[in-house]
This record gives sequence, C-alpha cells and structure tokens, in this order.
Amino acid sequence: MPVDQRRINGPEVSVPYHIYSDFNKKSDKVKHDFSKRSDKRIDSEIRKIFLKTGIVSQAKGSAYIEMGNTKVVCSVFDPRELSNKNGYCMQGEIYCEFKFAPFSCQKRKIHQQNAEEKQYSLILQRALEPAVCLHEFPNFQVDVYVMVLDNAGSSLAAAIMAASTALANAGVPMFGLVTASTIGIYGNHYLMDPTDTEEAICNTQPDNEDDFNHGIITLASLPQHNQISEVFLIGSIDTNTIKQATEILTAANKDICPVLQQCLVKTIMKLHNEKK
Amino acid sequence: MAETVLSSGEKIFILHGIDADFRNDGRRRCEYRSMEIETKLMPQTHGSARLHIGNTDILVGIKVELDIPHADKPNEGKLEFFVDCSATATPAFEGKGGDDLATEISNVLIAAYQTRNAFDLKTLCILPHKKCWKIYVDVLILQCGGNLFDAVGIAVKAALNSTEIPKITAATLDGGEPDIELSDDCIQLDTSNYPIIITLCKIGDNYIVDPTLEEEVCSTSSIVMSVLPNGKISSVVKLGCGSIQFNTFTKMLQMGEIIGLKLNKTLMDVLKEENQFGRQRRIFGFLK
Repeated sequence: MPVDQRRINGPEVSVPYHIYSDFNKKSDKVKHDFSKRSDKRIDSEIRKIFLKTGIVSQAKGSAYIEMGNTKVVCSVFDPRELSNKNGYCMQGEIYCEFKFAPFSCQKRKIHQQNAEEKQYSLILQRALEPAVCLHEFPNFQVDVYVMVLDNAGSSLAAAIMAASTALANAGVPMFGLVTASTIGIYGNHYLMDPTDTEEAICNTQPDNEDDFNHGIITLASLPQHNQISEVFLIGSIDTNTIKQATEILTAANKDICPVLQQCLVKTIMKLHNEKK
Repeated sequence: MAETVLSSGEKIFILHGIDADFRNDGRRRCEYRSMEIETKLMPQTHGSARLHIGNTDILVGIKVELDIPHADKPNEGKLEFFVDCSATATPAFEGKGGDDLATEISNVLIAAYQTRNAFDLKTLCILPHKKCWKIYVDVLILQCGGNLFDAVGIAVKAALNSTEIPKITAATLDGGEPDIELSDDCIQLDTSNYPIIITLCKIGDNYIVDPTLEEEVCSTSSIVMSVLPNGKISSVVKLGCGSIQFNTFTKMLQMGEIIGLKLNKTLMDVLKEENQFGRQRRIFGFLK
C-alpha cells in the first residue's frame, strides 16, 4: 500500500551503500554455514533475554527488552475514553503502534509508519487482545507504543513480550502473560530466534530448488492457558513442518514465561521495599 | 467490517447450526457458496477479473508498466497490491473506515505472493539495473457479504491468469540508456503456482470456510492462510480478538490445505474452460 510521500523531506530515494560493497560477500551469504551459527548458539537455542520494567517514568507502565542485540522499548499509557463516533462500546480497546527507530535497521526507516510497521502494529494488537480483560474497561482505549531501537532479528517477538510486560506493569487487568518467539526455517534447519542475517536467508528461496521449505514463523501464545494468540508465517512451508515448528515454538514460549514473571515480581518487590 | 448486529438468540441459532454441520443456507461446514467469475472484462486493463460469491463482489484490474528495478534487487521486477474498500460497499468504509481492512488484505496478498516458489519476480526483469515490468494489482471491493479474503485471493489469481504482457523483441543498452522494442504479441504469466487464500473461521468448537457476514459476527478468531498448488503454505495469520488452542490450530491448517488444493484445481479448470471460448466470448459484465 502506498504511503503519503509529501511529508517526507529530503531526497526521495537513497540506498544503503552496503548493497554495492557487499557484492562479493553476498555469495557467501547464500552459502551460509548452517553447522554453526554466527553467535555460537545451537539451532534450538534462543538468545539471552534481558527484561526490565518501569524505564519510562511518564508512562503508566513500560518495559525494555533485549534479546541479543535486538532492543525494544514499550510504553503503555493511561486508558482514555473512546470518541463516541460509533456509539458506546461494551468492550475496551487496545491500540498498538509499532515503529522501527530510523537508525535501527540497515536501511534507514522514515518517520512515518511504512506498510510493514503498520502490519506489525496490527499483529501486535491481535497478539495482546486475547490476554487483556477488555470487558473491564468498557468504552476506554489503552495505548501501547513500541519502538525498536535496534533490530537484530526477531523484533516482532521481542515487541510482543515487551508490550505484554508493560501492560502488566501498568496494572491493566489481564488473563495471563503473552510470550512470543520466532523460528526461521531453511530446508531441514530450524533456527530458533533468528538474527537479522538469518531472517534474510530464511526469506529467500535458493535458486534451482523448487521443493524447498523456507520461511519465518512468529508465534505468540498465552502459556498459562495453552492458547495461541497470534501466528504470523511468511515463506513457503508444508503443513507438517509448520506443525513441528509450532510445537517447538509453544514449548519455547512456555520456557520464556518465567522470565517475564520474575521480572514483574522483582518490580513489585522493589515497590514494596520502597514503601517500607 | 460492516456493521451487522445480531442478538444473542440469533447467534446461538447460527452456532447450533454449525455444530450440527448444517448452516443457515443449507451448506455444510467445509462448503463454499457458488461463485461466479469472469475475466478479461475491462478493456483498459492488461488483465481483469470479477468475482461474485454470495453478496461479495470483487473487481480486480491489472495494469503493467515499465519501471526501474530496486537497487538492492537489480534483476527483479515489481508486483504491488492496492486494495480499495470503497464506501459503496458499506457505510462503515466511509472516510478512513476501510483503511485497516484494506491494509490487512493487501498485507495478506503481499505475504502470499512473496516467496519465489509462488511468484518469481525475476521473470519481470527486462534489463538488470535498468528496466523491469511493474505489475499493479488493484482490487476494488464493490460489495461486502463476508469472506473478503478468499474472494480477493481468487479474483487476484484469476486476474493475473488473464494478464497479458507485451512481448519484448529487443532490449539493448544504447550508451548506457536502455532501449526497448515491443511487439504486438503478448505473453501470459505463468500462473501454475500462484496461491489462493483460505479463511477458516472458528465458531464455537468448530471451524467453517466461506462465512457469511452473520457468521463472521459470531466468530472471535479466524485463520487466514495462503495455499500454493503444490501443497505448501506461503502465509498464515490469525485474525480476530480470540485465541485458539494448539490442537485446533493444526487441525485448521490441515483442513485449510485440503480445501486450498481442491479450490485451486477447480479454479484453474474453470479458467481454462473460460479461455476456450476465445476472443468471441460475449462479455457478461455487470448486467445481471
């Protein structure tokens, strides 16, 4: 879909120089060595997660997450009343905005949301909606803003987890926490929590091979209720592989859940000690 | 989506019908409504299709133009999808009301056609770094009667199948400037592996295909997936505010794959049949 180009200052098209300088390296990229990953992880290993709440003092709730080099900030603001355009709404709403910082990716992002970011905003919203008790705040809207500071792969999964922690931190009534993880599929390889280079590889199909599984699956779930809240798949994968991959992802999401819980407990304990 | 308000009694009626595998219009859970499809009906386009399913009415026009390839993909052409939910369909689309849905539909289309397995953009390249074809797929939603995603998916595939791109007789670089000669002949796109989109709508404990507007209101979550004719899945996304269990999800995927393969085959058969009528075919157009 098109974006409004009128509000963008500066030259209309510029390209990152990497596409020229990397020309010789590009061929190795395709022959990526799958026996070991660049950060010495095994295929089924996720990167270490750092999570902290309450980093934006102005916001009702906020969270910062780091997964390897991927860094995401999320803030949640007080509920505000919906405009009465569509009449009284029995259910509350959450509004999500996902944005890559202009400097977060290899190619510079413009300040306006592009199609990809708009899509990620909608995915984020759908991933969170099943977890939030929307009936508890009828006719109100909670705003969730996510900013990716550094995109080193799996930023959507990181964003979902940051948003879920920030919502809990803000005291929004929820049924449970939402965790998410990403898997990259390339032939027989299942790469958990892929980095941006691995994502790029999984997105391309090798030449001369037609019957080849490749793609990226992001799965958000509510591990405390064994529910899947959002799936986002892109690529070309057969059903059995998807089934296997979602199994791995649900297990991973269950494993990640204590990290979020501990982080929230730590926040509460800190608050408790301060009050004393 | 359009405003359809149902009372809880009506919702329960629909729900029980689906439980009994007998829907309001007499269909079973896995049955589509009958479709009417016509291609090559717009003279100004390079390819077009109109699809009518239930009360849903989709018009797709395809324009092919020349462009310069992206700097980072010098030997690939371009394919772009634009979806317009016009207010003629329902008043809910007025102003910016249809924008979210339009973005959603075009994102699903982009995702479905993204893999090289489905659409090889390299076939649209004329001169690397200099010239390529750009295909504009414009989708117009004329009437909205449920199941927009599937309808748009089928209409887009049918329209691309009817698309004719002028044949290039000579493409040379003349002092760094591209020089292209076209002939009157046309080539068709290789549609053998284009995806179609299947929506599985979860209502109660069951899931159905091709929901009507009323049925869509009863559902809290649905899965939109695109199925390639070789059985691969090129995109999956969950819509709606509800969540689903893992087991249900895998069952829905499997059902979607089976239905997708069948629908793909039927669609290609129908399009082939239509093609056999040749140029003399009377265009049915918008008369009913």
